[in-house]
Amino acid sequence: MKSKLKIIAMVLLFLFIAIQVYQPTLNVDKGQVYQTDFIQSSNVPIEVGNILRTSCYDCHSNNTNYVWYDYIQPARFLVENHIKSAKEDLNFNDWGKYSNRKQERLLTSIKKQIKTGKMPLPSYTLMHKDAELNNAQIKILTSWLEEQE
Amino acid sequence: MKNIFFSIITLATVAVITVSCNQFSNKNNDQQATDSTVLSETQTLPSSEQNDTVASTADTLAKQSKKIDVKEQVQNFSIAPIVKDYLVLKNALVADNDKAAASAGKQLLATLKAVDMKAIPANKHKDYMEIADDAKENAEHIGDNAGKIDHQREHLAPLSKDVSDLIALFGSPQKLYQDHCPMYNDGKGAIWISESKEIKNPYYGSQMISCGSVKKTY
Repeated sequence: MKSKLKIIAMVLLFLFIAIQVYQPTLNVDKGQVYQTDFIQSSNVPIEVGNILRTSCYDCHSNNTNYVWYDYIQPARFLVENHIKSAKEDLNFNDWGKYSNRKQERLLTSIKKQIKTGKMPLPSYTLMHKDAELNNAQIKILTSWLEEQE
Repeated sequence: MKNIFFSIITLATVAVITVSCNQFSNKNNDQQATDSTVLSETQTLPSSEQNDTVASTADTLAKQSKKIDVKEQVQNFSIAPIVKDYLVLKNALVADNDKAAASAGKQLLATLKAVDMKAIPANKHKDYMEIADDAKENAEHIGDNAGKIDHQREHLAPLSKDVSDLIALFGSPQKLYQDHCPMYNDGKGAIWISESKEIKNPYYGSQMISCGSVKKTY
């Protein structure tokens, strides 16, 4: 019985090591400046910009501030997939490339998601406490977004 | 012990292979998708045999029928299939049916993807592309969010604007009404397109089925 457990533990350990081989490219841009960036191009107040960078840009831009466990599989895989789909919906670095129609829709949607606490994702803030928005920050973001409509 | 070691290594290799194969098959799917769009484009070739003019040479005949093709296609473009799918989607949300809304969203996305750009007059390409890109994203989100009817409704608002702009651009394929819900979006209001004069609010469903008013008739 004991040896069986040992075998299972060994298998799991080796599987864990094996999946480390799979390392998708990191979402980092090495300080590149974007003409089309939301904060650069939309005259965003510093306060709003800082909140967006801390709480949104990890997934919705070309640069993620990874934490150490993000480099380890299977977290690595999940995080990278998550960032990919987040950027498909909204990439703040590409804001200027979007049509007016899309920008308008996204502004409404961003406001709603923040207001209802759907964004940033609870599964993300669980591990990234600094990204969590307090009520004052939510107020700052939503009232600024309100002005933009 | 040797046996165990061997099986572990095999398992690990299998795991690595599965991961990389997965990526590969994803690429394959993309390829298939583009293939099928090409196919559907070629299917729209009209039958030139019917043009049985005897006198002209084969060369001019070919040229002529080509001209007719282009003309026919331009005249043939209609947003009817898009509107049809939109109405199914809208009615699913009226009925508070998130699952039906999701499948209608998927259907609408497929319809939008299958649109033959060659059939759209050149001067309307740019406008169409902008509207269609936005509509595709909205349809996709609605399709992916069965179980989250609030999120589906959130995307119905911009999608309805897209459809209304398509109607403005290409004309209405049938009798339609543009309705307005004053409450949605924190009192900012939102429109929807309906095939019936009677108000049936897709943003609130059974909660407030008759809330809203007709703004426009197409």
